[in-house]
Amino acid sequence: MGVEGPKTRKIFINEAEKNEAAEYIDNSISTSKYTVVSFFPKGLYEQFQRVANFYFLIIAILSLFEFSPVHPVTNVGPLVMVIGISMLKEAVEDTKRHKKDSEVNSTPILVLRDGSFVETEWMDIQVGEIIKVLDKSFFPADLLMISSSDPDGVCYVETMNLDGETNLKIKKCLDNTVSFTTPHSLNDMQATLECEMPNNHLYTFTGNLSFQDNMVHSLSPMQVLLRGCQLKNTEWIIGSVIFTGHETKVMMNSKATPSKRSAIEHQLDKLIVILFCMQCIVCIVGAVGSPEFLDMKQWYLALDENPGFFDPNEKAVTGMVNFVTLFILFSTFIPISLYVSMEMIKFLSVVYFINKDRSIYDEHSDTAALARTSNLNEELGQVQYVFSDKTGTLTQNLMEFFKMSVGGVPYGDGITEIQRAIAKREGKALPDDVKDENYETGFNFKDKRIMGGNWIKEEHSEELLQFFRLLAVCHTVIPEGDPEPDKIHYQAASPDEAALVVAAKKFGFFFHTRTTNSIIVAETIPNADGTSTTEDKEYEVLAILEFNSKRKRMSAIVRTQDDKVLLFCKGADNVIYERLSKDGNEFREKSLEDLGAFGSDGLRTLCCAYKEIPRATYEEWFVKFDAARTSLVNREQMLDDVAEIIEVDLKLIGCTAIEDKLQEGVPRSIELMAEANINIWVLTGDKMETAINIGYACSLLTNEQRKFVIDAENERILEAEATMNKTGAIEILNEEVMSQLEKAYDDAKLMSESMKFALVIDGKALQVALQPENQNLFRKLGMMCASVVCCRVSPLQKADVTLLVKEGASMITLSIGDGANDVSMIQSAHIGVGISGNEGMQAVMASDFAVAQFRFLTDLLLVHGRWSYLRISKIIGYFFYKNILFTLTQFWFNCFAGFSGQRFYDDWYQSAYNVLFTSVPVIVIGLFDQDVNRAMGKAFPQLYMAGQKNIYFNVRALSWWILTGIFQSVICFFLPILAGHPAAVSEEGHMIGHWALATTVYTCVIITVNCRLALAVSFHTIFHHVFIWGSILFWYLFIFIYCAMTPGTAGSLDSSDNIYYVIYYLVGTPSYWFSIILTPVVCLLPDILMQGMERWFRPLDHQIIQEWNAKQSKDSMDDKLIEKIKNRGRTKSQIEGTDLLDEVRNRSHTGYAFESPQGTSYYAPQEVVDAQKRASVFVLRKRSNYGGSQGMAVPKINEE
Amino acid sequence: MAETKVERLNEPKYNPFTQQELPACKPLLVPKLVVITFMFIGTLFIPLGAVCLQASSEVVEYTKRYDDLCVTGATNSDKEANLLATSGAGTDCQVTLAITEKMKAPVYIYYEMHNFYQNHRRYVKSRSDEQIRGDAAGAMSSCEPKVYTGGDSKLEVSPCGLIAWSFFNDTYSMSMNGQNLPFSEKGIAWTSDRKEKFGNQEALNFNDIPEYRGGGTITGPVNENEHFIVWMRTSALPTFRKLYGKIDQDLEAGSLITVDIDNRYNTYKFDGKKKIVLSTASWLGGKNDFLGIAYLTVGSICFIFGLVFLGLLCKYPRELGDVTLLSWNKVAKE
Repeated sequence: MGVEGPKTRKIFINEAEKNEAAEYIDNSISTSKYTVVSFFPKGLYEQFQRVANFYFLIIAILSLFEFSPVHPVTNVGPLVMVIGISMLKEAVEDTKRHKKDSEVNSTPILVLRDGSFVETEWMDIQVGEIIKVLDKSFFPADLLMISSSDPDGVCYVETMNLDGETNLKIKKCLDNTVSFTTPHSLNDMQATLECEMPNNHLYTFTGNLSFQDNMVHSLSPMQVLLRGCQLKNTEWIIGSVIFTGHETKVMMNSKATPSKRSAIEHQLDKLIVILFCMQCIVCIVGAVGSPEFLDMKQWYLALDENPGFFDPNEKAVTGMVNFVTLFILFSTFIPISLYVSMEMIKFLSVVYFINKDRSIYDEHSDTAALARTSNLNEELGQVQYVFSDKTGTLTQNLMEFFKMSVGGVPYGDGITEIQRAIAKREGKALPDDVKDENYETGFNFKDKRIMGGNWIKEEHSEELLQFFRLLAVCHTVIPEGDPEPDKIHYQAASPDEAALVVAAKKFGFFFHTRTTNSIIVAETIPNADGTSTTEDKEYEVLAILEFNSKRKRMSAIVRTQDDKVLLFCKGADNVIYERLSKDGNEFREKSLEDLGAFGSDGLRTLCCAYKEIPRATYEEWFVKFDAARTSLVNREQMLDDVAEIIEVDLKLIGCTAIEDKLQEGVPRSIELMAEANINIWVLTGDKMETAINIGYACSLLTNEQRKFVIDAENERILEAEATMNKTGAIEILNEEVMSQLEKAYDDAKLMSESMKFALVIDGKALQVALQPENQNLFRKLGMMCASVVCCRVSPLQKADVTLLVKEGASMITLSIGDGANDVSMIQSAHIGVGISGNEGMQAVMASDFAVAQFRFLTDLLLVHGRWSYLRISKIIGYFFYKNILFTLTQFWFNCFAGFSGQRFYDDWYQSAYNVLFTSVPVIVIGLFDQDVNRAMGKAFPQLYMAGQKNIYFNVRALSWWILTGIFQSVICFFLPILAGHPAAVSEEGHMIGHWALATTVYTCVIITVNCRLALAVSFHTIFHHVFIWGSILFWYLFIFIYCAMTPGTAGSLDSSDNIYYVIYYLVGTPSYWFSIILTPVVCLLPDILMQGMERWFRPLDHQIIQEWNAKQSKDSMDDKLIEKIKNRGRTKSQIEGTDLLDEVRNRSHTGYAFESPQGTSYYAPQEVVDAQKRASVFVLRKRSNYGGSQGMAVPKINEE
Repeated sequence: MAETKVERLNEPKYNPFTQQELPACKPLLVPKLVVITFMFIGTLFIPLGAVCLQASSEVVEYTKRYDDLCVTGATNSDKEANLLATSGAGTDCQVTLAITEKMKAPVYIYYEMHNFYQNHRRYVKSRSDEQIRGDAAGAMSSCEPKVYTGGDSKLEVSPCGLIAWSFFNDTYSMSMNGQNLPFSEKGIAWTSDRKEKFGNQEALNFNDIPEYRGGGTITGPVNENEHFIVWMRTSALPTFRKLYGKIDQDLEAGSLITVDIDNRYNTYKFDGKKKIVLSTASWLGGKNDFLGIAYLTVGSICFIFGLVFLGLLCKYPRELGDVTLLSWNKVAKE
């Protein structure tokens, strides 16, 4: 990409004049499509980009000329109407965007101007200016952090909008700028910032800050505050603007809002071309035939006088002009009202059905569904791939202590979502989840054996005591607020840790104070007489051995008040079990069973162990530890090694099981979607373990699947990264990932018959897999898998994965997410769904549909989507049919009229055909048709496959529509003619002539197409009857009035003279009635035959279900029955498979997962230190004075 | 966490329309219904067909082509030359129609033309309805190319246009068994046309000058010339009949009808045909077996289909709503 221009940006901080030369863009953003000026030109241009609109524009222009067979109004009127409606819609939508933009742009902000901070608006700030951002406000642009209210120059940032993570990140300014905190000092600051050009990499930043004295300091992402992030827990920060407006990293990450059109609409364009070709063919026939016909011998045409466009001597000209004439006449091939009707249907469905649907209304957040576009309704019925975010979408981002196993005894009576899903599948009823008095956010544990001090009576009460103590002591949580159980708030790096501490509190081990080197826990020990004693116990924290993704465990070494040194350790089951002492661990096996059971229930487990360390051992070890943590080289590795020495011979106490609270009904929804043949890919920023765990929890991953884990965190890669330069490391990474992918793909191909697969891949590996040359392999592998989980992915990768499937495989994709980090994914997919009802609105703003809960996706897809698809495909086919039928009758007529372009029908018949007599019933079908009702649609999700296979809108279905159109046009034209021509049609011996015959044919056409519509419907509401039969009646009403208009009263429309009295005459002739009975019946017989035969001998799925549904009485239709019926065709082992599954699960998957944002790699450098790390550093630093030299900050948390 | 009561402000109200739960009838085209439909159409259409056929068979119709008889000449161009040689006076000739079956009054006289494209766009639009109505200021531009006689803008033609200009001008007189057979030339046009569409103005500059003449002339008020009114109701197809007169007496079997024709109209140039038709009319109109045959055919086909399906229904009954036939259940079984 050879972009010319500077490679770096040089910013003069706080020197506005000098920056002007660079002409940086301002900080206002615009997401709107039009301005007032550009609305008409651009809007019209967009409208006429639609093939059909452009076509009708041409027709309308042509019909102004003399050679037009019809009155110009016939063509101009509908066009103006269509364009007008569409433009109005655009205008309304864009106004909303303008309003939103100006709201954002005028957010107030403090800027340093003329020596003091003055309030101005976001859009007014310039690159290089110095601004002050206050607590809880958002950064208006990408900033270089200069200083903060914290003397160490630290601030906390929430990056929810960027990556969806809710934990706070720490940013720290350069030590050299810490002191610039007042306007006065800032004015003295003279510095130049040289940095990279605007780009979309959220996690990188390179730049140098040079002061006047030529001191150059290199900058890292640590000093950069990005637009979209929010300042938290920091009074204020001062920063200098680096990138503004659309050049900020977050804006560079958001792609332009694409205007989405459904696949059916795209196919429709192709079909329009087919119709257009048909039209051209008949026009060419006419263009050739017409000059052939013309001859001087037709003396009654007086071709020797002013022949105009009928000059038999100028055959070429005659032919060409006649082509145009016929082109205008046959322009009804292309149904203009189709677009208006479709837009109306979609708009009304959105407003009245989707937005008003009570089953997708969330009562907890009081949020109804919201369809933000009406373009994609039918697309919802064809989705093949769903890409889902995890946090906030599948899960509530709420960790709750749910179960535990201590001393080999499992505790906790709760029922997880996954158990509910299994129970439901088996038709068992489970009690609802009732939250008891002990419930608290983070704690959803119910067990009478434990609660209320009863644990003391348990057999393993000693272990329980130790267990609770461990929970209260072994963590890095910082308490906030009053030290009272009800008021305290725990600040933790991960919600898991907080949940464990809350649990300890609930069990009577209330951790309330962390001092520099100790933890104070109020321990409540029940007495035998039912009372209890509460006593503060202080634990001196001697060392904290941190958590990281390699260690998968953390330990705290504490000295108790009775001077014992204890090591508490919690971590993944496998790492803990490796370190258990050989003997004295009698619940080893029992606990493992429990771990398995918890894991299969989708719970996140941690094993807890402890040991008492002899004083001498500890002291000996501490020397090594101290050396390690003060080492300047390779510190992390040395710390890990040292930890290994002490974390041995542990004694297992038990394990915890935390529920990563799923959104309601998620497993069931995923199961439904799987049955509907929708593939679900989870794209999450979480760690692999967490993601896999959730995969299990929501039945996306099962143990019967063969799992391919493509992990870029393996030894070889990590080593390469540590020892080699960047290019070398990337090479190794590529090699490693590709070999894993290839192996997986080969395996998958070999076993594709016998197994189902799941693919788990992490962000770094994904980066390799998404390279253009590797994409194919990854896509093929991914599509062979029943489910795919991508972990640690960036927002753009989410979009890329979506695009990979959308464009690479031409599958219909849907993305669902809740955060700003999902925006690009939402916009990339065919359909974007945002989770609404929470605070962040970015996802919703970018989405096409917004629902409050993931589970509503099933209703959206299986009910609304399926119906919409059915309706839209039906009406498109029908529109084609009815217009072909109508237009071809004119063509047959022209075959007998020298192809002269004479219209068979009256002008009014022609213009009213699409608008008045046939379109309203179509809208009714488009709104109301249902093949099966909502309950059936959800009970038989497999019905959804019809949409995926596109069986209502494929070549076969459309050919049938087109063929019947042709056939019926023949019948409609020739039958009435043969019946009424040339002999007399009445007892008076009168002839009926052109216009009466045309009226008869027209009546037949109207009756036929409306009856055909009725035949296409299997769900006749009162509206169907009113509008279908009403259309026919309306035609009669129209014609009776029209024919009654005495010649001369109709003004300029002198064609009415032709029609005058015609119908009154016709209704008096029996042959008219015989014709209009015979013709529709003959027309529709093949349809009836075909439909009847199809249902009889090759019934489609929905037809069987219709019949089945019709047999059932309403009350007997409970879910159980449906389940039973559904399973009737399955083999026995499949039904029993669920039990089998549980067994397998118990054997293989344990749910270790622990939220810790520790995975470091060059891809997503976690230079932002999280609160947890800080807490531990803080402890260390107080004991030894090394911290300062490493540039680590000392927080003031909790010291006062 | 205590369940905080959220006010349900945004909850959609129940309405069968928005919840898409409108009561509806759901007819399914199940095999039984297919049989019933076909049987029903069969049993309805066969009698209707019989009735139509019966009506048509009652009609007695005699047709005689005369354009080739009335002018001498080997080819159409010879004939045309001979016709034109009469300078518009036409040739006289006689054709005889033998009545073999009794024709009950009224017997209608038609002329039938072939290969005459009254439906050509140039022709159809070349008329001015306003002018015909007697609206003096009526637009005439649509009458091109027959607006002025010989292109002289003083000689405005009324009624103008190609249709009027090419007005049929053969005339007939009849005798039966040598006796003059009177027929009425009134009541042959639609009453509505006569009353509302044609004015009582006299024709003006209409086919006056022989070399510019197409067809006939009009004397007297336009709305009294019913032949003209009939002519102006153009036909949809190039073969058509137009009513010429009514004989108000029965024509007995065995009688010979002699038609004296003043053959003026030039069909030779466009290789057309002219025929004279005598026909009675039933309640269903003229002689046309098509409706009857069509009804009988469709009815019989439906009836036969119905029977076949009935057989199939008995032999291969399909359980309705058999869920084992669902595609996914079938796959699972395999």
